[in-house]
Amino acid sequence: MPRRQAAQFLKPGSPLRVIVVLIAFVVGTLSGLGLTWLASARSNGFGAVQLGAWTVWPRSGTADADPYARAAFARSGELPLERADGLVFEAVSTDSGAALDGRCETRISGRLTAARFWTLTVYDSRGRLIDNASDRYGFNSTEIVWNPGGTFDVTLAPRARSGNWLPTGERDRVVLVLRLYDAPIGLATRSGEAVDVPTVTQVACP
Amino acid sequence: MRIDALPIVVGLVLGGLVHLTTVLALPRLALEDAHTRLERLGPANQVHMVPNPTPFETVLPRMDPAFVHAVCRYDLTQAALRVVVPLAPDYLSVSFYSRHGLPYYALNDRAAAQRLIDLQLMTPAQRAALPEDEEITAADRLIVESPTTEGIVFIRAFVRERGVLDAVLERLNEARCAPMG
Repeated sequence: MPRRQAAQFLKPGSPLRVIVVLIAFVVGTLSGLGLTWLASARSNGFGAVQLGAWTVWPRSGTADADPYARAAFARSGELPLERADGLVFEAVSTDSGAALDGRCETRISGRLTAARFWTLTVYDSRGRLIDNASDRYGFNSTEIVWNPGGTFDVTLAPRARSGNWLPTGERDRVVLVLRLYDAPIGLATRSGEAVDVPTVTQVACP
Repeated sequence: MRIDALPIVVGLVLGGLVHLTTVLALPRLALEDAHTRLERLGPANQVHMVPNPTPFETVLPRMDPAFVHAVCRYDLTQAALRVVVPLAPDYLSVSFYSRHGLPYYALNDRAAAQRLIDLQLMTPAQRAALPEDEEITAADRLIVESPTTEGIVFIRAFVRERGVLDAVLERLNEARCAPMG
């Protein structure tokens, strides 16, 4: 019987016993630490709301933040925006799911739900600003050039474009962070309807 | 159970435990958390300007470059702290974080009655120890209770355009935090 076999292998004095225990420990340590490493690098906790390309963690800026959110911020060293201060939208891919590539041309386009003002910033994958000759790291709602009708277009590209251009310095991975300050919107519903976010689409890629 | 699967199964259960423990312990173990990074700017219970992020250097990751920031790391062991922040020409917020970076309170310029934000930060024990008569006048002062003895007060001031930067910095330079009594 296999079961009795296992019991026999685990008897003291069995030569396999040490190996069996060792394997269990190695598997346990590696899978446990690996999972923690992934979880604290890729996520800001539970309760994420997906709006097109944008992800929001409405609870990560509150004292109710779950252990995963706390672990992620402790590890990165970031101070999350308090919910009463603002709401943070993050995009690492386009609406269709392609990773945001700084070597490509990407268009952020549309309208944004009401807030006192907002800022849009592009970071590299380590959360640093991207060096460029015009010291342009983002736009805020008061300086951006708006289209008639309350929409805006921002072009993310390595080389200068007309209009609202955000330089990407040809980084292979970039992160877009949209911060809505003093935003009265609630995100109680997971679908997040009634929240306008701009579309993120890849225009061209060399 | 087959003998070759046993160590794997036991290992995965162990892995689950390791994972949960490390996630819960990470805020205490993290070597480069916000508090540690801000420690380098200077001693506690004083306001320090946080240098603007550049592509090569940033005190905290993912700071908003449209803002200027100031910080007061606090330690309430000796006494409660008074925090006074004059309002800037534009949006300004004061956020409170526990020792391990958990935000527990924030207010912005719209919540301020006068042209400045003036509040007292204390532990629940220090608040309970306030004399009775002071408790009455406490109605018209703003008291914030800190869940931890140490923590971070982070001030964010919006710079609408480069032209107003100096004006915003001037106001932020007047921000104070100091032990009371």
